[in-house]
Amino acid sequence: MATAGPNSSSSDSRSESSNNTSGGAEGEEETPDNSNFECNICLDTAKDAVISMCGHLFCWPCLHQWLETRPNNQTCPVCKAAISREKVIPLYGRGSGNQQDPRDKLPPRPPGQRTEPEPQNGFMPGFGFGEGGGFQFHFGIGAFPFGIFTTFNNWGAGTGGVPPEMERELPQLLQYILLIMAFFFYWNLFFG
Amino acid sequence: MSLLKEPPPGVTVDVDQAHTKLTEWVVHMEGAPGTLYEGEKFQLQFKFSPKYPFDSPEVIFVGENIPIHPHIYSNGHICLSILTEDWSPALSVQAICLSIISMLSSCKEKKRPPDNSYYVKTCSANPKKTKWWYHDDTV
Repeated sequence: MATAGPNSSSSDSRSESSNNTSGGAEGEEETPDNSNFECNICLDTAKDAVISMCGHLFCWPCLHQWLETRPNNQTCPVCKAAISREKVIPLYGRGSGNQQDPRDKLPPRPPGQRTEPEPQNGFMPGFGFGEGGGFQFHFGIGAFPFGIFTTFNNWGAGTGGVPPEMERELPQLLQYILLIMAFFFYWNLFFG
Repeated sequence: MSLLKEPPPGVTVDVDQAHTKLTEWVVHMEGAPGTLYEGEKFQLQFKFSPKYPFDSPEVIFVGENIPIHPHIYSNGHICLSILTEDWSPALSVQAICLSIISMLSSCKEKKRPPDNSYYVKTCSANPKKTKWWYHDDTV
C-alpha cells in the first residue's frame, strides 16, 4: 500500500459510476474539512445536497437512485434508519444561486438495463433452476418413470454417467410415442 | 482511497492488478494474530458491476488458500449478508474487508459449511445468484 501516492485517489471507481464529477477534488489534497461534506454514496462533495433525519449527507441524485433501487425497503445507507423522499431536508449553501429544491429537479435518467446472458453450461445441466430444465420437464409430464430416469442421468452427468447430449439426441418420434403411451395409460387409469 | 491510506490490519490491495482492470480488484488478507487463522494468507476477489455502488460487488475468496470457515464454501463463496440483501451504497471495500476479517476472527472451530459439497456442485459461478439464507450470526 505504501507504493500508492495520494494521486491514485482520482482512480476511485466510484467517481466513474456517478454523473456528478463536477467537484474540483482532483489533484488537491483532501482535508478533513472537505470530507465532512462528501456524499456518503459517491464520495464526492455533495451536489444538490440533502440530509436525512438521521443526519447523513447525500447528493439528491445518489440518494434518489438508492431509494429507487429498494422502493419497499427505504433505509439510510449509513445507519439503516427509515428514510423517505419526504423526510430529507435540502441544504442551501450561500453559493448556490437558485435555491430550487433539489428534489423537484428531474430525477436522474435511469441507467440502461443490461442483463448478462445466462451461462449455457453450468456445473450440472438440467439440475439448476434456469437452463436445461425444460427438457426434463418434457419427459416428466407424460411418463412418470422416465422422469426419474432422466433425473438420475443428470445426477451422474458430472461424474461420467450418460452425457446429457445423448438424451437430447433422442428422436423426436420416440418422444411423441412415449407421450401418447402415457396419455393412454392415464386415460385407462381414470376412465377405463 | 482510505483503503490505501489506512487499511484494516493485514489488508493490502493489489494496486497493479486494479489498475489494469478497474472493475476487478484483488485484495490480500492475512489472518489476524491471536485467531485460528493467524499467519495464513488469503486473496479476495472483488468484481464491481456498472451499478456499483447501488449494487453490491461480487466478493469471493480466490487462490490456493480458501479459509476453512463455517460460512465460507470451498469454491470461495462467502455467506455474508452485507454482500447481498444487507448491502448499502455507503459500504466501502474497506468495510467489507473488515467484516470478513471479523467473521474469520470470531470463528471458534475450523470447518466447512455443512452443505458444502452439495452447494459447490450446484451453485452458479456468481455467488450473488445464490439465494442465501442468513441464520447464524454467531460466527
